[in-house]
Amino acid sequence: MQHIDTLDNGLTVVIEEMPHVESVAYELQIPGGIVCDPEDKLGGCLVLAELTSRGAGTLSSRSLSEAFEENGIRHGESCGFDRYLYRGALFAKNLPQALRLVSLMVQQPALPQSEIENIRSVLLQDLSALNDHPARRAFVELSSKYYPAPYSRCGMGSTEGLMAVDSESLRAMWKYQFAPEGAVLSLAGALKRDDVLKTVEANFAEWQGRAEKLPPFGKINRPAAHHIEHDSAQLQIVMAFPSAKFTDPHYYATKLAAGMLSGGMFGRLFIEVREKRGLCYSVYARHSATNDYGTMQAYAGTTPERAHETLQVMLDVFHALKGSATEEELARAKANLKASLVIGEESSASRAASNAGDWWLMKRVRTLDEILSKIDSISRAEVDAALEAFPARGITLLTLGSRDLTEVYNDNL
Amino acid sequence: MSKTTTLTTVLSNGLTIIGEVSTMHKSAGLGFFVRTGSRDEHPEESGISHFLEHMVFKGTKRRSALDITYELGNIGAQANAFTSEESTVYYSAIIPEYFETLQDLLSDMMRPALVQEEFDTEKNVILEEIALYQDRPNFYLYENASREFFAGHPAGNSVLGSTESVSAITSEQMRGYLQRRYTTSNMVLVAAGNFNWDRFVSDAQRYTDDWRSDEVDRTLPQFSSEIISREYKRKGLNQSHLLLLGPGCSAQSQDRYALGLLAVILGDSSGSKFYWELIDKGIAEAASADSEERDECGCFAAYASMQPSQIDKVATTLRELVKRGAEFSADDLERAKTKVISRLALGSELPMGRLMSLGMEWNYRKRLHSVKEEISVIQSLTAGDLERAFEKYRIWELSEFRLMPE
Repeated sequence: MQHIDTLDNGLTVVIEEMPHVESVAYELQIPGGIVCDPEDKLGGCLVLAELTSRGAGTLSSRSLSEAFEENGIRHGESCGFDRYLYRGALFAKNLPQALRLVSLMVQQPALPQSEIENIRSVLLQDLSALNDHPARRAFVELSSKYYPAPYSRCGMGSTEGLMAVDSESLRAMWKYQFAPEGAVLSLAGALKRDDVLKTVEANFAEWQGRAEKLPPFGKINRPAAHHIEHDSAQLQIVMAFPSAKFTDPHYYATKLAAGMLSGGMFGRLFIEVREKRGLCYSVYARHSATNDYGTMQAYAGTTPERAHETLQVMLDVFHALKGSATEEELARAKANLKASLVIGEESSASRAASNAGDWWLMKRVRTLDEILSKIDSISRAEVDAALEAFPARGITLLTLGSRDLTEVYNDNL
Repeated sequence: MSKTTTLTTVLSNGLTIIGEVSTMHKSAGLGFFVRTGSRDEHPEESGISHFLEHMVFKGTKRRSALDITYELGNIGAQANAFTSEESTVYYSAIIPEYFETLQDLLSDMMRPALVQEEFDTEKNVILEEIALYQDRPNFYLYENASREFFAGHPAGNSVLGSTESVSAITSEQMRGYLQRRYTTSNMVLVAAGNFNWDRFVSDAQRYTDDWRSDEVDRTLPQFSSEIISREYKRKGLNQSHLLLLGPGCSAQSQDRYALGLLAVILGDSSGSKFYWELIDKGIAEAASADSEERDECGCFAAYASMQPSQIDKVATTLRELVKRGAEFSADDLERAKTKVISRLALGSELPMGRLMSLGMEWNYRKRLHSVKEEISVIQSLTAGDLERAFEKYRIWELSEFRLMPE
């Protein structure tokens, strides 16, 4: 059972007591991130997230790092597309220390100027290494073609943006973005709600301010096919098209449709592309959704000689699903999705993340039973209705490698 | 960790089975751990262990490939498999009500039919997997460096094999390999989490009754490394990669705990010497150290990726830090112990974590172990133990492998 409390300063605290574990996991999410970065400082949020871990309160960078280690806390500070993330896993008895360290990083970071150059250098190398990882790069390029700005941005920032970040701009970002109202602190594991709330209040009650609002989501770009020439053994094929967003009545049916396409080893894409034809090692589809948009994405990596057929089979599989799904297929997709949720529920880290994610989307938290019964209730007709509402049309396609497939795409329009 | 019991028994056909029952869990893990991998392949079989791992999912006498796929799907099994130089492991997480169905299925899969048509199709999948890894620079470096470092010793055999070697493998060869390696004496069946031990044992007896139990050999030649250096080139790379390999201890050696702690002090992802010298200062993008323990041999590895212009500087720094590896404070040692212990304990909280650990422990050391035991061994180590291991293995005698843009 999860509990949601709100501190006087607006910080939301989600707590789930898990009697069968000895660990605790925490996850603090603060609105901000790549979509909020100033146009000329893309990647500033990445520098800032790392910089908050380089000393806070009276602790130097090294003492802060050692304090985490002495308490056996596995931790990470990062920034994603639309939020800063502070997460960790530890033994329950060390939770007070963990919360103190996190509160120092977000409320009293030293933000030492001397560290900025070093952090920038590592982030520039990460960005440069993207070129050496064709599959990752293909998805970054796909997003840039498919989503409207600023949601089209590369999650690793830009060279110019990283170069432009300085101490003053980072301080301003921290002051403006790091605030309790609009942020969520999710805790799960071997803990008691009343005790934990006291510790949270002791550490976070002084924090003041209102977190940033995310920029509005515009319109998806016109579908098109794109090719990027790249010297690699495999051709990367990636595609995206609009699908159910989180608030859409077709949301759960769409999740199950994605399962029939790409769940476990039984999904149709895997069976048709890999198992029956041996066209590639990795092929999948995935559905992602926020309150603003839903996207179905698909991936295959294959050698250039097999690329044409691979793409053709993928498109055929997408187009054939509506009206042809069997009861067995639906049952399988349900069993798989439910098992992954039940098994995932054993981990305090995944509960903390999932509860924080729910609050982010709905300002409430679903119980596992609620999700399971939603999944159970979906019929074949509802899956077809979802596929009718969100057909595999208006696809944005991108290939990266040594074979241009834009022609195949155009033939399929 | 609490309220668990670890049990083991040997079936009449020689198959060892191990189970750790903890009824408070909502799931269980089940797996076959076969003591076989690329190091057990004849030269003309290069890649066959991994290819066979794929074929295990492609049909038995009783089930077609699609039957297997669909049955796993019907029970929501989160199934997977992997092959390394020394182990091939088939495993799945499962909700308790389907544990028995999964055990039936997984046991049947261990006797694959190797149907020719499936064999031919799957070969293409393997060739695609080889192409996929060719596009990953750090893997490319590791694979080549490992081959040259182990110089003819089987521990350096490639897991995937090459396009040529895999293309040439026949289903007859695979049948031979399967008979030779997948016997009850060369594998262990493990379960962890919420399941019924007695039922597990009686089902195992039933499903594996007719399995062969021949004794299986693994050649374990002595390995002594020579110091070499190599540079590989790839077109179009932005970052360069550096791998240093030195002598290390085996998976059977008690020194593995000491060298493991030295690796954490030197090259853990945060708070280590490599971290403060290279990552914190922005010189390298990634840097790590690892004690790679294998069956009766091993090596110590240091890895970094960085801009090509920085590689000399990074190589010098890594070498210097490894050379001074025995210079650490009492606090450094305590922090490393706390890190290792908390990872071990947190990782053991889930059935899947315990499953892997029990299976690997048996394959390498033929024993059961508890998390508590591991923790107390780590806690008892002194700075002197680490220094002795450091001097004994001379981990600073490093071979150097570089991957640079052409």
